Amino acid sequence: MPYSNLRRMPNGQTLAELSAASGIPARTIRFYIARGLLGGPVKAGRGAVYTEQHLERLEKIKALQAEGRMLADIAHDLAGGPPAQTAPSPWWQHVIQDDVMVWVRGDVSPWRMKQIRAAVGELAARLREPENSPTRRDGK
Amino acid sequence: MSPAEKIASFAPLSAATGKPVNLAMQHLWLAGHILPAGARLVVEHVFRSGEEKPLEVIYCFPLPRDAALRSFRITGDGFEAHSELKPTADAVKSYEEGIARGALSTLARQYGDGLINLTVGNIRPKETVTVHLEILCGVELRDDGFRFRFPFTLAPAYHPRAKTALTAPGEGEMELPSSEFGDIILPRFREDPSALHQVGFDLSVVSQLELDETGSPSHAVRVRPEGNCSVRVALAPEKDVPNRDLVLDSRFKSVASQVLAGRTQDGHGHFAAIVPSSAFGGSTEAPRRVVILLDRSGSMAGDPLMQARKAIDACLGALAETDSFGLVAFGNDAQTFQPALVSGTRELRDRAHQFLMQVQAAGGTQLANGFLAAAKLLAGDGGDILILTDGQVSGTEQILAEARSTGVRLHCLGIGSASQDRFLALLARETGGVSRFVTPRERVDLSAVDLFASVGRPIASELKAGPNIQPEPPSFVFGGTPVLLFGEGGEATDDRIELSWNGGRLSLPVVCNDSGIGETVWLLQGSRLITDWESRYPSTQALASLEKRKESRVAARLLALSQTYGLASREMSLVAVVTRAGDRPGELPETRVVPVGMPQDTHFGAYFAAPPTAMFATAMFARTMAKPLDSARPAADVEEPMSVESAMMPRMSLAKKMHEAFRRRPSGGTTHEILIDLASRMDADGGMPGDTPESRAGATIVALLAFLSQGHTPTGGAFRSHVKRLVSFLQSVTGLSSRRQQLVAAAIELVRKGNAPPGDWIALARTPGPHWTEVEAAVLP
Repeated sequence: MPYSNLRRMPNGQTLAELSAASGIPARTIRFYIARGLLGGPVKAGRGAVYTEQHLERLEKIKALQAEGRMLADIAHDLAGGPPAQTAPSPWWQHVIQDDVMVWVRGDVSPWRMKQIRAAVGELAARLREPENSPTRRDGK
Repeated sequence: MSPAEKIASFAPLSAATGKPVNLAMQHLWLAGHILPAGARLVVEHVFRSGEEKPLEVIYCFPLPRDAALRSFRITGDGFEAHSELKPTADAVKSYEEGIARGALSTLARQYGDGLINLTVGNIRPKETVTVHLEILCGVELRDDGFRFRFPFTLAPAYHPRAKTALTAPGEGEMELPSSEFGDIILPRFREDPSALHQVGFDLSVVSQLELDETGSPSHAVRVRPEGNCSVRVALAPEKDVPNRDLVLDSRFKSVASQVLAGRTQDGHGHFAAIVPSSAFGGSTEAPRRVVILLDRSGSMAGDPLMQARKAIDACLGALAETDSFGLVAFGNDAQTFQPALVSGTRELRDRAHQFLMQVQAAGGTQLANGFLAAAKLLAGDGGDILILTDGQVSGTEQILAEARSTGVRLHCLGIGSASQDRFLALLARETGGVSRFVTPRERVDLSAVDLFASVGRPIASELKAGPNIQPEPPSFVFGGTPVLLFGEGGEATDDRIELSWNGGRLSLPVVCNDSGIGETVWLLQGSRLITDWESRYPSTQALASLEKRKESRVAARLLALSQTYGLASREMSLVAVVTRAGDRPGELPETRVVPVGMPQDTHFGAYFAAPPTAMFATAMFARTMAKPLDSARPAADVEEPMSVESAMMPRMSLAKKMHEAFRRRPSGGTTHEILIDLASRMDADGGMPGDTPESRAGATIVALLAFLSQGHTPTGGAFRSHVKRLVSFLQSVTGLSSRRQQLVAAAIELVRKGNAPPGDWIALARTPGPHWTEVEAAVLP
């Protein structure tokens, strides 16, 4: 559901209605509640209901997932964890040789990622060259 | 034993406090029958709530090869209910409505890659609930026996868009892309499985042929014979932990066709036939075109890569100059030995050895990149690819679609303690190849040599069967691997199975002599067909949204198969809702996901490593799955498990086999290592190296007798290709003295009889010299 439609959901909805409004399966919503990503229903038991805030939170989780964040990371953030710079984004690690590993931030733009991959590829090729190759002696 | 008694005897205790650990799932118990055509199993899951509020427990597990869920029964204090098979959307709706009503609800749903979520909701506080889940699955067949494999855990697997996180010390989690895997919920992976649920098993193995031996390379087992054709196999210790597959090997006393047939309740006859490869004739000597594809991803580091290198050297030793080979190593990218296939000359094999020595384990498992590079070497002119991999990948439908598009046969040797058996079996079968799967604690090199012996030279091609057989038989038959057929028939006394192939035909009678077997083989046929179709979402649909996929032809076929056979698939799921007095509608159960143990030979840090502390301030972080770290496999410390390399070794008792295989000889190396070394040193003409024709002939006889003394003949044992080539070399030898020519003829005659003369030929083969004196004393009467 687009973010602009959020206001259309009235308070006091059942889990099934919250699921339909968010497009997230009910089982997944219960899983989020158990993980602390989402608060429980407003009332317990027979009268359990969900509000607009629940829907907003679900939309936020979806948006963060679309950015490549994991639930563990999102839960950390939403629980008021440390600011973003200490809750890092996904990182890719390229193990080039037994003794060389390059870490690359995973949420950079596609063009930047392409550029980095090309550079890592060049580094890997360079390190694969034998010690006495002319390229290495020339320092190219 | 009742579930309550099992809990009492199996309940894990906290190491710190000695108090019982509060687990949502306490126990998993496997029972049932294993036949050469497949297994019919009941997996008992005991869930127990130690909470003060209702629970919803999710257990995730992978299906074994060729498997489908049939039904479940849920039992507890004062109730018992049976599952219904419904289209997945309806099953989910029933489940959710049951949960909303406060009823005990259970859903078994299949996702991509054969992953299952078993969800049990509204387990009341302090309540114990048992789910008895019936599963049909296949086995890995060999001419002289079969291997059964059942997953007790789940391996984290490489997917370019998966993400992993370290959530606590020794605990990691993984997320797969929802666009491909829907709302699947994966478990957390525990480095230390000791505080997790307990597993156990008690199974019967039943065959039509007399059983020679049954054992397990994965678990300590008790084996109790129940007649000549049946044994009962149970876990020997009181309990075990969920950190590896159960692997059982059974071997027949003889090699022959088997037809298991019986009637179902509707009176129709159904059969499963196992036809050994030997029934199709012998292999040809046509030149081979083979590419060996080596997985050098991080998880292969250590012993597996070292063994794989040796194995490839030994495999190449079986090639003649008229054969062509290629070599590709893949991780994130593919490294190729030569840009085209090369001849199997000594010089090029030596260069291939140098190439292998510089291959290092690192990076992910971009399997498709690997086989596409290997297929390029074959240049559309036909041939075979042998893959050595741990196969720890997900998103397998896409890989399978790419594999089919290459048009070459893929043969797979899988290595792992947690199952990727389903995927690798499919990868081989869907491309016309064969597969084997070994545990990391077995010898990879010997299995590779055994598989390589049959690769590239099909025994039969263009295999055809009557219309009563489904699925269609494989196009090719390879040495050592039988053909498994399912079909209808046996109602009339003269019903037969008719098979024909390029150059031969075969007819087998079908006799329905056991009513119980009919239903089982019918269900095994269904589970096999469903598995095949599950893998056939075209590549675009494999990556399409779930809604789009449901509209596909594959989805329609799966729905029809599920309805026909009464088996679950991705399109149909199992659900049960139990309404009881005291249900509290609207109450929200607390969700618990059952954690699993990391596969025992996979290093936790390979998937859930923390970054260098200097770079990160927090303990929790996430990273993509693109590049798993190297896995440092522990040194082999095999304890109780016994059966190793059963198919590749001569017929002798398992205890003797173990002793022989791992006995470190005074001349250095175990028997197998020495044989692998001999195989690697063979020249392209099939003889052993030497300075003169006489010394070469002498060394070749000694090598031949070394293989023969361990049961390897031209038609049997892992080194059968090598033995054949050694014999072929000796047959071509001329110009020796008449006495030595006589010794050569006597040695060839010994091979024909299959008996090595007394003597430590293994030790002699390791000692320099032609050894004519020892040969003369031994081979002439």
